[in-house]
Amino acid sequence: MEQAPKLALMGVSRTFGDLTALSSTELAVKPGEFISVVGPSGCGKSTMFNIIAGVLQPSTGKVLIDGKDVTNQSGHVGYMLQKDLLLPWRTVLDNIVLGAVLKGGASRAERDEGVALARRYGLGDFINHYPAALSGGMRQRVALMRTLAMHHDVMLLDEPFGALDSQTRLSMQQWLLSVWEKEKRTIVFVTHDIDEAIFLADRVVVMTPRPGRIHEIIDVPIERPRPVSSLTRPEFVALKQRILGTIYNNASPANEEAAPHA
Amino acid sequence: MHDLTENRSVLLKIFYPVAALVLVVGAWAFLVWFYEVPRYVMPSPSDVANHISEDWQTLVKGFGVTFLEFLLGFTLGAGTGFVFAVLMDMSRTVRGILYPILILSQAIPIIAISAALTIWLGFGLAPKLVIVALVVFFPVVVNVLDGLASVDKDVLNLVRSMGASKFSTFRHVKLPATYSPLFSALKLSATFSVTGAVIAEWTASTSGGIGAYLLQANSRLNTAGTFSAITFLAALGIVSFLLVVAVEYLLTPWKSGHKARRWSRSYWQE
Ligand SMILES: Nc1ncnc2c1ncn2[C@@H]1O[C@H](COP(=O)(O)OP(=O)(O)OP(=O)(O)O)[C@@H](O)[C@H]1O
Ligand SMILES: [Mg+2]
Repeated sequence: MEQAPKLALMGVSRTFGDLTALSSTELAVKPGEFISVVGPSGCGKSTMFNIIAGVLQPSTGKVLIDGKDVTNQSGHVGYMLQKDLLLPWRTVLDNIVLGAVLKGGASRAERDEGVALARRYGLGDFINHYPAALSGGMRQRVALMRTLAMHHDVMLLDEPFGALDSQTRLSMQQWLLSVWEKEKRTIVFVTHDIDEAIFLADRVVVMTPRPGRIHEIIDVPIERPRPVSSLTRPEFVALKQRILGTIYNNASPANEEAAPHA
Repeated sequence: MHDLTENRSVLLKIFYPVAALVLVVGAWAFLVWFYEVPRYVMPSPSDVANHISEDWQTLVKGFGVTFLEFLLGFTLGAGTGFVFAVLMDMSRTVRGILYPILILSQAIPIIAISAALTIWLGFGLAPKLVIVALVVFFPVVVNVLDGLASVDKDVLNLVRSMGASKFSTFRHVKLPATYSPLFSALKLSATFSVTGAVIAEWTASTSGGIGAYLLQANSRLNTAGTFSAITFLAALGIVSFLLVVAVEYLLTPWKSGHKARRWSRSYWQE
């Protein structure tokens, strides 16, 4: 028997006026699974996330977590965006425990846990610092700890490393994998970087625009743990070519215009 | 090592203004002496110092009166302005209704309204407070509105996804975002507010404030008295400004340091 999905989208769609940002979408994510979502700009990735997070109403369809209908309900998933969105007037620790604070205040135990998180993931010396004193990579780690500290099984990460340089990015990817293995969360991860998508994920969801939809879901049969060298393995390269092909054949406006020439 | 450089920078911060003051007073004394300016045109610093020591009690009392007018009026104006801005940010209808009132408050010259306020509110503290409040009101509304509008849409989405209520979003996200622009407005209007208090005292000069003192000395061609009052007004302006800076320093620790202050509630200790 298949495992019951942790997160399921059933016929979820969203239109803005005439524009179909996301056409009817089905997706089932298994507990503890790491899913990457790739696709060109405007294909509805953030729209899908906003619906799952309960901050955007779907035009049709339902969102289920553990089989429970959570459509239009916020507070069921951890959500992290490309911008770290740390509050500059709160210290690192106070940013990490923001979820509890917003719900009426962080207890001593919640603050202690925030401290433990910061220490475990290399920010032990910065607990009392304000975000302005941190580097981009550190800020992004704080944002992820804030997401972790909310204790939701499902975490949505929308291009969390998009703003980082490639060195920092590589170390952040490895760090994220180690966090994921330790914390046993279910992660859906949006990225524009196909290497990143394959390197991190169990399955890659490929989306295409006009209208935004899931075009294909591709398994990544590369065993873990994955060293950086797996980026150059033949099955990795083959997967990458396949995904790039799908995106460029279905998505690029340049391709459509150029088609008559071919 | 670190403490040493910090001490040095504090010393420099005190040294520069003192040096500037000595320079200005020195130049003043020199020019009066060099051109042999008569006392009734321009008193020398020592004349002013003599006058101050003779009339010390009245001046200090006047300082207190004007400072109180400033403090109460300033708080009143800033508070009202803040509430206006929050209401305007919450509802478009409220914004539509309040905006004209706002512009009006700014368009009326304070000197013109000062006499009318005395007729309406009497010779007491009330008209002075209103005038001082009018000076701060407008900048505070405009800046706080800016601060409220500057909150990133993504931050609002994020805290909503975390299940935050409207109130806790305001309390933890919108409110702190207004501090910076609020204090720029307060710093800008602190010294103007003192001027406002003086103008208010001129129309109803029974208060015994420094503005009234200035008017009296002026009418008697007592230049040493006039300059004593000016000295006290300058001090009052500086004290007002420093007071705002001090409150800002206490309320916005993230702007003046890398870390939470050791004695603050957000400082974490084992
Ligand atoms: N609030 C909105 N109002 C109107 N149109 C919107 C709104 N939000 C998104 N859209 C439109 O929906 C489409 C999908 O947007 P979405 O942000 O989901 O794309 P995306 O895949 O996340 O793109 P990117 O990779 O650039 O982040 C876009 O065409 C966008 O213009
Ligand atoms: Mg997006």
